[in-house]
Amino acid sequence: MLKKLFINFLLVAAVVAVLDFALGKVLRHFYFRESSGLHYRTTYSMEKADADILIFGSSRANHHYVPEVFADSLGLTFYNTGRDGNGIFYQAALLKSVLKRYTPKVIILDYAGDFGKGRQVYDNLSSLLPYYQSHPEIRQEVNLRSPYESVKLLSGIYPYNSQLLTIAVGNLDMNKKRKSDNKGYVPLETEHPVVKEYFNSLIQQPVDSNKIESLREFVRVAKASGTRFVVVYSPLYQEHKRYWEIEICETICKEAGVPFWDYSRDSFFVQQPDLYYDPVHLNHKGALIFSKQIASRMRDVLH
Amino acid sequence: MERATVIEQLTPVFRKIFNAPELEITDEMTANDVEGWDSLSHMLLIADVETAFSIKFKLKELNKMRNVGDMIEIILSKA
Amino acid sequence: MVFTSVNFILFFAAVIVLYFSAPLKWRWLVLLVASYFFYINIKPVFAILLAAVTASTYVFTRLMDQTRKESRKNVYKVINIILVLLPLFFFKYFAVINNSLIAGLQGWGIHWPLPEIELFLPVGISFYTFMAIGYTIDVFNEETPAEKHPGIVALFISFFPLILSGPIERAGNMLPQFRNPVNPDYDKVVKGLRFMLWGFFMKLVVADRIGIYVDAVYHNIPNHNGTTLLAAFFLYPFQVYADLGGYSLVAIGVAGILGIKVMDNFRRPFFAATMAEFWRRWHMSLITWLTDYVYTPISFALRQYKLWGIVYSLMITFMISGIWHAASLTFVAWGLLQGIYLSVEALTNKQRANMEKKYKLANRGWYIFLSCLITFILFGISQVFARSANLQDAFQVLGKIVTEPGALFIGAPSILIFSILGISMVMLKDFTDEYYPGRFLLFENRNKPVRVMAYSLVIVLILLIGVFDGGEFIYFQF
Repeated sequence: MLKKLFINFLLVAAVVAVLDFALGKVLRHFYFRESSGLHYRTTYSMEKADADILIFGSSRANHHYVPEVFADSLGLTFYNTGRDGNGIFYQAALLKSVLKRYTPKVIILDYAGDFGKGRQVYDNLSSLLPYYQSHPEIRQEVNLRSPYESVKLLSGIYPYNSQLLTIAVGNLDMNKKRKSDNKGYVPLETEHPVVKEYFNSLIQQPVDSNKIESLREFVRVAKASGTRFVVVYSPLYQEHKRYWEIEICETICKEAGVPFWDYSRDSFFVQQPDLYYDPVHLNHKGALIFSKQIASRMRDVLH
Repeated sequence: MERATVIEQLTPVFRKIFNAPELEITDEMTANDVEGWDSLSHMLLIADVETAFSIKFKLKELNKMRNVGDMIEIILSKA
Repeated sequence: MVFTSVNFILFFAAVIVLYFSAPLKWRWLVLLVASYFFYINIKPVFAILLAAVTASTYVFTRLMDQTRKESRKNVYKVINIILVLLPLFFFKYFAVINNSLIAGLQGWGIHWPLPEIELFLPVGISFYTFMAIGYTIDVFNEETPAEKHPGIVALFISFFPLILSGPIERAGNMLPQFRNPVNPDYDKVVKGLRFMLWGFFMKLVVADRIGIYVDAVYHNIPNHNGTTLLAAFFLYPFQVYADLGGYSLVAIGVAGILGIKVMDNFRRPFFAATMAEFWRRWHMSLITWLTDYVYTPISFALRQYKLWGIVYSLMITFMISGIWHAASLTFVAWGLLQGIYLSVEALTNKQRANMEKKYKLANRGWYIFLSCLITFILFGISQVFARSANLQDAFQVLGKIVTEPGALFIGAPSILIFSILGISMVMLKDFTDEYYPGRFLLFENRNKPVRVMAYSLVIVLILLIGVFDGGEFIYFQF
């Protein structure tokens, strides 16, 4: 009985292994052939970006820093690596990959203001799985997902889980229009009705020390690379009550001797509905104004 | 009371409740064999059986009725 | 440790080896230790409650067994039911009652001395409490003898495949199996693995994918139009089916591999033509439990009132079911709706049967399809209440569906596409099982290559489009 069971088990396992290997190869091939969209931008940021100024961060980085403003006022090339839904782990991993290739003149980390416990940021690290094999420098961050990541990654399909359609569409030209970007930056055009209080329900949350450590590491590594490095907290529609999180960030920056530019309570941006897409994202108009302010401060730093 | 008499008196009760004029009952018959015999109609059946034989069941007896044969035995023990 | 975690797979593999290598005499102990390990892993303190419920149930069932006097037995029964219900009531309802008291009194300007509280419901408590109560009543009714071995009773109440979300099993079925363990059996093991695999598919590919869309919609009801809410309306019942149905299959499969047969929990529910039939196919272990221990005693007591007695009993039963799910007005509405559906059906049963006979509808394809669709929609309406945070939300959803058509919210297109693909596969399987049993078999095909491919492809599909991150089982909250 055991023998029969074992043989059939192996048989299914073998077929699965073959299918998994083949499909994994196909998915990988097309993943790295994508020419637009989030996958493409992550690949570009990790493996190709060579701009003088690099922006790091989450969606708030991605939608807040307008390339032309920086290029014009500083005369430097620019790329925005900010990716929706990704937190400090993603940013730290990406930084290490970039610094392996070259050191940008300027690095701006847009701090997402999140030290609370929660699975989301860990789950979203799946966006780095396709690079796990070829980029050993990011493994430390990816392994935070679970103790079994290296086992799960024996599967060829696993890194591309749920991405089938996105990969297919990313290979089509029409996606360039659908998911267009301007040196990584994606403008949020529509003005959205600004919704009620957003942060008040999130005041008390236990702190996730992994996130603090990761930010520390980002600051340390960036600082050590010799680049001009600042950390920015970009504007919010509503002054929120999680001061402690900003304070943590401020302390970390101070200890490392890194400038921390806090716009979360900047009266120019607070409660200005026409500058926002939603309570936590500036629209294009807001992003232009904000980028000008950052660029001009940057100019002072550089000269 | 005779077993045959019980069956004779029981049959019309079943026919009326389950809306089946030709239904014949057997000892082995269970709720699965009769269309419309669910936990709702079951209680209507119980009430009508009680009236027909002028008896009262106990909840425990109800739980022990696995098929029509069981029901007949319990009726016989009472009437 | 949820079923869909790597930890569980490792744990279960270890349990299988230990279980089958232990002598028959000690098998129960392996399972008992494994079950407590499984439960303690979630939160150690909760295991104390579990042990307390077990101890109380063991003591009172044994006392009942040793007593001749009916009234005495009844007292023991009632005491135990009250005792085991205490923790459930406390954790489920105390916070709600306390907090609404505070709110209510403050409205009158009175300050309640107790602070507002939020209690964390011990996971599985609803399920093992129901099993303990069922066992107590079964012993009282002499359906099953009181088990003398405390270890077996403890195992029955804590059995790890069932403790988190059921199926809510009965002592009559489980105790003998725990007492007389069997050796591994090829067919049982394969069947168990098959159930687990299909359960994982339902949960990971179907339920969690739909969940992403439904959650996005329900978290932001004011900003979605009627078309989008209608899509969520149709998707949510599939989500719950795939979630709890998938979970149940894994549970049944896990138990089955250990040689323990557990009752089915779902039988192709969306092929039910009436609500009465639906409830014989949906969450069957809960509904038969409620039928035996709540509905039957009440309707028996009220049998002289004929149909109206039944209507009343139905209402009470489903209200209890609703409040068991959650102490909220939405679940009261949910229970009320089920009661109304079933009562209306019971009251119009004869007319419908006559109509079907007169026009010979019973075997017409379109009539069956229409009946199933109407049943689905009725259930869907009740599920809007189950899913909504409060009554206003639920009415807003239903209102908007009727009054505010518009463009469908798509979000990431792959969510809807994968959801529909998954639903189609589950429904296709259910369809062939329902109308062509024994035909178009894949997992049980006579042809071995077909079988192997079927298993392999399901595994590959799970890898390819299953949701791996952030899935939670819906019924853990109840």
